[in-house]
Amino acid sequence: MSASVLKFLEKARTYFAFIELRKMGTFFFALPAIMWQVLFLYVPIAAIITMSVINKVAPGAWYSLTWQHYHEILNPLFLNIMWRSLLLALCTSMLCMTFAYPVAYFLALRATTWKNTLLLLLFLPFWTNFLIQVYAWFFILERNGFLNRVLLKVGLITEPLQIMNTPSAIYIVMFFCYLPFMIMPIYTSLEKINRRLFEASYDLGATPWQTFKRVIFPLSMSGVKTGFFLVFIPTFGEYVIPAMLGGGKTFYVGSLLSYFFIDSPNMHLGSSFTVVSGFVLIVAVVFITIMFKWLMRLARG
Amino acid sequence: MSGIRLERVSKRYHGELVIENLSLTIKSGEFFALLGPSGSGKTTILRLIAGFESVDSGRIFLGDQDITHTPINERRINTVFQNYALFPHLNVFDNVAYSQRIRNVPKNIIEQKVIKTLKTFHLEKYIYKAIHQLSGGQQQRVALARAIINEPEVLLLDEPLAALDMNLRERVLVELVELQSTLKTTFIYVTHDQFEALTVADRMAIMNENGEIEQIGTPKEIYEFPISSFVASFVGTSNVIQGSLELAANVARVVVQGLDVFEAALPKQRDWLVQGGKILMSIRPEKIEISKKPLEGFANHIIGTVKAIVYNGRSTSYRVRLPNDMMIQVFEQNEEHFPQEVIDYEDQVHLYWQKENVILLEK
Repeated sequence: MSASVLKFLEKARTYFAFIELRKMGTFFFALPAIMWQVLFLYVPIAAIITMSVINKVAPGAWYSLTWQHYHEILNPLFLNIMWRSLLLALCTSMLCMTFAYPVAYFLALRATTWKNTLLLLLFLPFWTNFLIQVYAWFFILERNGFLNRVLLKVGLITEPLQIMNTPSAIYIVMFFCYLPFMIMPIYTSLEKINRRLFEASYDLGATPWQTFKRVIFPLSMSGVKTGFFLVFIPTFGEYVIPAMLGGGKTFYVGSLLSYFFIDSPNMHLGSSFTVVSGFVLIVAVVFITIMFKWLMRLARG
Repeated sequence: MSGIRLERVSKRYHGELVIENLSLTIKSGEFFALLGPSGSGKTTILRLIAGFESVDSGRIFLGDQDITHTPINERRINTVFQNYALFPHLNVFDNVAYSQRIRNVPKNIIEQKVIKTLKTFHLEKYIYKAIHQLSGGQQQRVALARAIINEPEVLLLDEPLAALDMNLRERVLVELVELQSTLKTTFIYVTHDQFEALTVADRMAIMNENGEIEQIGTPKEIYEFPISSFVASFVGTSNVIQGSLELAANVARVVVQGLDVFEAALPKQRDWLVQGGKILMSIRPEKIEISKKPLEGFANHIIGTVKAIVYNGRSTSYRVRLPNDMMIQVFEQNEEHFPQEVIDYEDQVHLYWQKENVILLEK
């Protein structure tokens, strides 16, 4: 190769220096994931937003922009359903948090000999299909189920309780199915804390309770937050549990969406409902984040 | 201010005895160093004094007060941890203020105290910095400030310089000595580094691998008059040679098989010396004179061959093989740019030392 060609290549290289090969490589490998994101997340969201604001005036005619679907969806009937879902999600997350924290605390900081066995038991449900987990609850909650039989034997009740197809069944199963999702991040955040920090706290005059309040709890806050959202966000749109154990009588966000898109196809109404509930979810998440910040400040004193 | 007294303290870990029947008195207002190899139980002693561990038997006193069963948070003792154990979720101010908030000190007083303490440690610029934004040296000072603000009777320091680089260490050591002399708090400093211990301590204890205290004394006593070969070789370097003892009127002679007879000055305490008994003599490498030409005026003399030379800057270290195949180490100060005689590998050299520089050891 002659010197002039080399010189030209060198010049070309400096000219195109803004194309960094290394970055190109990274981009290349990220491409499948990016494609997936775009195709199955951004495109559908864009489609739903579009569907919610357009209307077909007459067959064969052009679509026109309209707020009509939002007017229809913002009526007490649908808002009530959204409120019910929000309440279910909030209660489930709070309930899970209350029970998960002591369990995670025990596993991370107290358990010694049985720790690994207990962890295994805790994560066993993850290896079981979600649907099968829900079906298993039928046998526990039904009229002649395990729970009723035990309660009858013990003598706490004289007649079998009607739990199936009531909101209580939904709450019970939601709580148990989502509990591991809360325990796991709290456990991880507690496990990560350097034990020397507890000693430092005692050393500086703190009692165990003060150490918990000022060191352990604030340092596990990230886990609590993660766990809360891991439970709150999916439970808000939960479809399977209310549909199977609620008897289909009470509507939740998930069931209403299925109604709009599958049972009585009304894509426009379904889309506007999706957008509104998405907006509600975002507002709720922001609000909860602020609540956590406030709680953190309270713990710091 | 109060001192610390340990009385016949024993501690087991998983059934294994770490320290047994250990008694130790640390005087009030003293800078005391615990020096020993890893696994010698020096950190265990520190953790027992702090209260992180409880004794299996024995008592611990802070001044006249028995603190054996006092909970950690009620002991007027604070610790500077090896990796500082600063609270990562709190900034510098909140870390230092921690103990004051626990004690419900009024807000304005906390602020005054914290700022005053941070100024002593030249940290006033970093008040609202997060811990992870600080350098190792700065973190170390925050750890000190956090412990000192609580005005402890005793301050425990667990290898506080382990995470710092070499240049910083010497400076921090000097600062620690100054801090201790202004506060007059009892400092207990745990380290495996003899240089640190010798630099800071008023008195020091040398611990061996079995968790026993071999010797307690001032750095000078420990270095110049070690009582065992363990102390002689753990603190500084030492040539320890075994022989049998011959006692004369005002001199001791050590007969080394296959080598020679060496003279040693008689120690003050001489009741343990047994005529004809086995004995060890210790000679510090820097107290041996090395020369290619014969010299005058030394009590002890031997000839050897140079086998290794290590240049260390301010001194040169030689390893010399003696006629009985024993190796002996010699340090020579590098006093001149162009020394008159250059010693090289395989050179025949004369080694000389005074009888006053020989320490006789029982074990």
